[in-house]
Amino acid sequence: MLNRRVMVTGLGAVSGSGLNVSSFWAALKAGRSAIKPFDLPIDNIKISLAATVPDFDPNKHFSSDELTILDRYSQLAVIAAQEAVDDAGLVCGEEILTGAAAIIGSGCGGKHTDEATYDRLYKQQRTRVHPLTIPKGMPSAAASMVSLHLGIKGPAFALASACASGSHAIIQGMSMIHSGMIDVALVGASDAPFTYGLLKSWDALRVLSNDTCRPFCKDRSGLVLGEGAGMLVLESEEHAKARGARIYAELAGCGMTSDAGHITRPDVEGISNAIKNALHHAEIDLNEVNYINAHGTATRANDVAETEAINRVFGDYANKLAVSSTKSMHGHALGASSALELVATTLAIHHGVIPPTANFTEADELCNLDYVPNSAREQEVNVAMSNSFAFGGLNAVIALKKYS
Amino acid sequence: MFNGHYLNNNNKMVLDKVAEVIVDTAHCKIEDVTPEAKLVALGVDSLKAITVLFELEEAFDIEIPNEIIPSIVTVSDIIEKISKTPH
Repeated sequence: MLNRRVMVTGLGAVSGSGLNVSSFWAALKAGRSAIKPFDLPIDNIKISLAATVPDFDPNKHFSSDELTILDRYSQLAVIAAQEAVDDAGLVCGEEILTGAAAIIGSGCGGKHTDEATYDRLYKQQRTRVHPLTIPKGMPSAAASMVSLHLGIKGPAFALASACASGSHAIIQGMSMIHSGMIDVALVGASDAPFTYGLLKSWDALRVLSNDTCRPFCKDRSGLVLGEGAGMLVLESEEHAKARGARIYAELAGCGMTSDAGHITRPDVEGISNAIKNALHHAEIDLNEVNYINAHGTATRANDVAETEAINRVFGDYANKLAVSSTKSMHGHALGASSALELVATTLAIHHGVIPPTANFTEADELCNLDYVPNSAREQEVNVAMSNSFAFGGLNAVIALKKYS
Repeated sequence: MFNGHYLNNNNKMVLDKVAEVIVDTAHCKIEDVTPEAKLVALGVDSLKAITVLFELEEAFDIEIPNEIIPSIVTVSDIIEKISKTPH
């Protein structure tokens, strides 16, 4: 069996900070949060904060024909995917992309389309819906539209594991390259969760903050929803080197577990095992790890459980790790968050800059790690990890190394 | 809202609406949308055809049955079918 090394050679990001990686990274480096007062025209909801994509006019990116079939989450996916492909120096129509895979995760799929349909039927009492409702709103719509826009004709499908969807999609692409099935994969996730029904549903869970997102802090009050898409081009080492591609970092390994326990409460053992499995798979010693991009939602349950898991796995070395939650800046964009966080983790290695946990006040008494409060840290990062833990107890951890 | 009586007796208005919907959906030239024009030639593929029928159902408050779709080839086929369609 082949066991090929997998490289990150292209990045794309649409986030609350803007429509590209440069705006995303500039905000993370500056510790600048994209969380702002919720200003979309949706009435009768309690949500007061959000990290929505700013100044986004779909008509500037897509024709009216294209928009008839592009749900908002597909629009964000296509924009980020195009950026990642451009960044990798790949061209639509050329053989490399034709043979590539597109594995696109999503936590909630085409909610804008679905909810507009339900509104029309149930509220407006109309009796027919637009004929493109199914292909526009289906959970694999973004994977299809990315494939279609970029001319990707290899394996393409969607993947769903709630807030870990991006990580699982990235791991799937990595595994396909690892095994020799393909040479190049476009992987990531997209989510656009600002619809009435979804926001009411998040309201009902009582985990949304009306203050801001303050991961690991004593006064944290929950998560703030975001939207966006994170995309990465993955490539086998030999393929990347043969075409002289820029290598941001190596995807060194992954760990995946499921809690098989509570539907929403994180399980320290499940999380710990995912981290341990990633270290083992990547053949990394504990004391080689410099940085962990945490799941860090700022809910009461997650931050304590994640801290305990890191302490349990790393022991005394846990105090020497930098651990930050970039959700404090891009918000919790559901499945897209985990992909955006891997973009951030890759750039931390590439630039030697650890993004901070923004909005940090005072650490919770049960949160005893170095959370890189408020200011980015210039520091060489040779090994980093990205944690993602989804509702339903689906855990995914990815380990990256500086390529040498 | 148009009604069946109106449809039967004012085909010019129906043609105008059909032409408008086809142009909006397929981005073809209005002068090309003649009764004899084939939909495929105007850029109306099968997916766009069901979009055109949806828009016409909405505009005229009618139900176009699936069974007649295969026999719709030209613009005049649409006008004829929707003029005969119960509502």
